[in-house]
Amino acid sequence: MTQRFLQVQGLAKRYIQRDGKPGAPVFDQIDFDIDRGQFVCIIGHSGCGKTTILNILAGIDSASEGVVIMDGREINGPALDRGVVFQAHALLPWLTALQNVEFGVRSRWPEYSRDQVREHSKRYLDMVGLARAIDKKPSELSGGMKQRVGIARAFAIQPKMLLLDEPFGALDALTRGTIQDELREIVRATQQTVFMITHDVDEAILLSDRIMLMSAGPYARIAETVDVDLAADRTRASMHHDNRFYEIRNHLVDFLVDRASHSQESTAS
Amino acid sequence: MTAAQRWRATLLSILIFLAFLLLWHLAARPAAGTATVDPAYAALVGNAAASGGQTPFPGPADVGAQLWHHVKDPFYDRGPNDKGIGVQLGYSIARVLLGFSLAALVAIPLGFLIGMSRVVYSAFDPFIQVLKPISPLAWMPLALYTIKDADTSAVFVIFICSLWPMLVNTAFGVGAVRQDWLNVARTLEVSRLRTAWQVILPAAAPTIMTGMRISVGIAWLVIVAAEMLIGGTGIGYFVWNEWNNLSIANIICAILCIGLVGMVLDTVLARIARLVSYRE
Amino acid sequence: MSLFRNPFDAQSRLTCGCGRHASQADHDRAIGADAAQARAVEGAVMRALFPQDDLRRRFIKAVGSGTALAAVSALFPLAMAKEAFAQSTGPLEKQKLKVGFIPITCATPIIMAHPMGYYAKHGLDVEVVKTAGWALIRDKAMSGEFDAAHMLSPMPLAITLGAGTSGAVPWTAPAIENVNGQAITLSMKHKDRRDPRTWKGMKFAVPFDYSMHNYLLRYYLAEHGLDPDTDVQIRSVPPPEMVANLRADNIDGFLAPDPVNQRAVYDGVGFIHLLSKELWDGHPCCAFSASRDFVTRMPNTYQALLKAIIEATAYARDPSHRKEIAAAIATPNYLNQPVTVVEQVLTGTFADGLGKVMTVPDRIDFDPMPWQSFGVWILTQMKRWGQLKADIDYQKIASEVFLATDAQRLMKEAGMAVPAGNKTFSVMGKPFDASKPDEYVASFKIRRT
Repeated sequence: MTQRFLQVQGLAKRYIQRDGKPGAPVFDQIDFDIDRGQFVCIIGHSGCGKTTILNILAGIDSASEGVVIMDGREINGPALDRGVVFQAHALLPWLTALQNVEFGVRSRWPEYSRDQVREHSKRYLDMVGLARAIDKKPSELSGGMKQRVGIARAFAIQPKMLLLDEPFGALDALTRGTIQDELREIVRATQQTVFMITHDVDEAILLSDRIMLMSAGPYARIAETVDVDLAADRTRASMHHDNRFYEIRNHLVDFLVDRASHSQESTAS
Repeated sequence: MTAAQRWRATLLSILIFLAFLLLWHLAARPAAGTATVDPAYAALVGNAAASGGQTPFPGPADVGAQLWHHVKDPFYDRGPNDKGIGVQLGYSIARVLLGFSLAALVAIPLGFLIGMSRVVYSAFDPFIQVLKPISPLAWMPLALYTIKDADTSAVFVIFICSLWPMLVNTAFGVGAVRQDWLNVARTLEVSRLRTAWQVILPAAAPTIMTGMRISVGIAWLVIVAAEMLIGGTGIGYFVWNEWNNLSIANIICAILCIGLVGMVLDTVLARIARLVSYRE
Repeated sequence: MSLFRNPFDAQSRLTCGCGRHASQADHDRAIGADAAQARAVEGAVMRALFPQDDLRRRFIKAVGSGTALAAVSALFPLAMAKEAFAQSTGPLEKQKLKVGFIPITCATPIIMAHPMGYYAKHGLDVEVVKTAGWALIRDKAMSGEFDAAHMLSPMPLAITLGAGTSGAVPWTAPAIENVNGQAITLSMKHKDRRDPRTWKGMKFAVPFDYSMHNYLLRYYLAEHGLDPDTDVQIRSVPPPEMVANLRADNIDGFLAPDPVNQRAVYDGVGFIHLLSKELWDGHPCCAFSASRDFVTRMPNTYQALLKAIIEATAYARDPSHRKEIAAAIATPNYLNQPVTVVEQVLTGTFADGLGKVMTVPDRIDFDPMPWQSFGVWILTQMKRWGQLKADIDYQKIASEVFLATDAQRLMKEAGMAVPAGNKTFSVMGKPFDASKPDEYVASFKIRRT
C-alpha cells in the first residue's frame, strides 16, 4: 500500500482532572488518512475535540496517544509545511495587511530580498481580492477582509497542508458565501491539501472531497466518513441543483441532530 | 468635541481658575492686628507683627509677583547655594532622566524575562511585592550610608522607585500576549528571539509604555523629596531653601513649576505611547 | 603693640618680620605691601613669645594646627599671631575644598569668609555648601564629601566616641565658631506663662540631640524642677521648620540657634523668653570641625583654612563690623533671611516679640578658643542624660577633640603665663570644676545615671 500523504493513527486526548487523575478522553481511536490534493472537512458538535485535533495536526498541541505522520515523517511540533488559518483571524494588529502576510513569507523564505517578499505577499493578497487594502491595519478592515488576510497569509507560505479552523464562523452569511467561492477557486487552482473544521453543512459539501463526522465526547470518535461525489466544478449557485446534494445534506443533518448529540457529559475540549 | 464645545470648556476652565484666585485672595487677607507699637519696634519686625498679627499666607498677587521675578531671570547662578529656578529645574530633570533611564534599562529586559516564564514570574514575585511599596524616603538613608555620595544616592533612589511600575507592567504585558499571536509565530517556525522581538514586544508595548508613564511620574515625585533631604541643587533644594526663609510665595512658585514639568514629562511619554498603540 | 618690641628686639635676626626673607624689602615684595606693616608687627610679637627661632618652629611643628593660633589669640590680639603660621606653611596639598554649613548665624565666620574673601586670601578655593540638616552634614563630613564642616560643638565628641553614628571616627574641633547666640523662644500664646515651673506638659524643640541647645534646655528645665524626659517633650526639629511648627501649634517653644528666634519675632509667631547667654555667658555653641585624618594628612591646607576662619572670626568679633557682615551673609546664597533679622541678631539691638526693643551687644559673640573644659562639660551632660553609657576618661577625650591641651603645654614650656588647667565658668550660677566631672554629674538631682 502506497503511503498516504497524511496518516493519523490512534489519536487520543485526555486531560488531567482537578483531583489529579486523568479523566475520560475527549476523543480516542481517531484514525484517518488524507491524500495529497484532497480537501477534507470535519463536522461535529462543539466539545468533541475538533479544534484539538486540528491543533495537534498543526503541532501546537500534543496528543495523549497516537501519532500523526505527514509525508513519511512523524510530526513533532509546529512547522512551516502546515499552514494554519485560525478561527479568530489572529492577525498582528500593529501590522498592516501586507506586513502580516510578509511576516509569514519572510519566515518561510528568510533569504528573499525585501522586494521579493513584497511581491510575493501582494500576489496572494491579490488572490483573495484585497489588492486595494494592503496598507490598512486590521482594525480598519471588516471581518471578512481580516479573514481573507489570514487565508492569504496561510497560502502565501505555500504549505504542504492547510489547516482551517472554522475560518468563516464569525462572518455574516453573505460574506461567507463570497469567500467560500473564492476559497474553492484558489484550492482548485493550487491543488492545495486542506483540512478544515466547520459547522456549516453546506460549506462542507461545497468545499470538500470528504467529510468526516465526529460523535460527541467523551470518547468521541470519527463516526462516519462521507465521500462528496458531486461535480468537481460545482459552485454555490449550482450545487443544489444536483439531487445527490440533498441526499448528502440530509444525511449530515440527521447525523448532527441524532447521533452527534448522544452524550451530554461536559468535557474539556 | 465640536469647536463650540471646546470653546465652552476653555471658558469654563478660565472661570474656575478666576473663582479660585478670588477665593484665595479673600482668604489670604491678613487679620487686622489691634496692638499699636512703638515705631522703632515696628521697624524691626515684619509688617504683620508690627500690628500684633502673624505674617499671613501670601495672596495671589504676591505669588504672581514672585513668579514674574523668577520667570524674568530663570538661569542666574550666584554661587553654589543660589541659582535661578531654571537651573534648579535643569538639575532635577537631569537626575530624573538618568535614574529613569537606568531603571528602564534594567526593568524592561528583566520584566520581559519574568513575563515569559510562569516559573520565573512566581519566583520573583515575592521580592517584587515586598520591595515595591517601600517609600523613597526610606531608601534614602540606606543609599547615603552605602553610596555616601549625595548625588549618586538621589539617582539611585529614583532608580529603585521607578523600577517597579516598569518591571511589573512589562512582565504583565509580556505574559498577557494573546496566545493566538504566539501560535501564529509558532506555526510559522519563528525563532524564540524573533518572536520576542517581533511579536511579544510590539504586543506588550502599550502596557510597557503605561508602566513607563507611571514610572516617570513617580521619579519626578521622588526627586523633589530626595532633593529636599540632601540639599545642594535641584528644585527640591530650592523649595527647602525657600522654606528656610519661610517664603511661602516662592514655595508656591516652585510647586507650580514642579507641576508643569511633571505634566510635560507625562505628555512626552503619552505621545510616544500613542505611536506604539494599536487597536484590536 | 610696641610694648613687646623692645625687650626682645636685640635677639632677633636682621631679617624681615616673618623670618623667611633676607630683608624687609624682600618680604614686602613677596607678601604684598598692604599686609607688610601688619606682618612686621605680628612677627615681632611672635618672636617675643618664642625668643628662640628653633623653639618657635618646634612649637609650631608640634602643634601643627590652628590650635596654637587659637591658644595664642586668646591671650593676644589676633592680628599678632597671624605670623606664627607663615613659618611652617608649605605648599597647599589641596586647594579646592568643600565646607558644609547649616544656614544659622552660628556659622557666621565660615560663611562670611566666602564673600569677604578670607578663603581666597589664603589661596583656597572654597565652596561653602548649604546643607539640609545636622545628620546630613555629619554624614557628608564623615564620608569625605566635605573637607571640613560646621558642626554643633558636641558633635565632634560624639563622632569620636561613636555615639549616634555607625562607627567611631577620630574627629577634631580646632575652633569654636561662636559663643552665646541662642535663645528660648515661646509661642505668643504663652506670653503670660513665663515661669518655667508651669511648663509641665509642654512640647519643645531643639535642633539635634547632640547639641548645646539640648543640654542647655535640659539644664534650665532641671534647675526649675522639671524632668526633661518625663515632664515635658523635647524633640529634634530642623531649625527651618521650627517657626512653622510654632505657628502651627505643634510645639510650645524651642531653644534654637538664631536667626530662628528672631525670625519667629519678625513673623509675629513667638517672643524671645530668654537669651542663652543668661544661662551661661560665654557658652560655646557651634564649632568648625574636621576629621583628624584631614588635620594630619593635609596640614598645610588645614592651617590655611583655619587661618582664614580665625581671621574671619576676629573680624566678626568687632562690634563695628557686625552690620556689614549681616548684609553680606543674609543673601539667598547663604542664610536667605531678611537682612534686618540677621542684623538684629548680630548687633544685639533687637525686638523681643512683646513690644520692647532690647539692646544686648554680646547676644552673640565670636571666640575661637576650644577650651578643654567646654569639652568636659559637654561630656558630663552627655553622661547625665544617658547619651553615654560607658565610663569614659573625660579629660582624655576632651583634649583629643578640643585641641587645646597641646597648645597649653607648649606655651608653658615657652615661659608664658597660661591660664591654669581650664577655663572656669558657671552655668546658671553653679560653678563647674572640670577636674571633678563625675562628682558634677552626681550632684544633679535630675539625671539618668
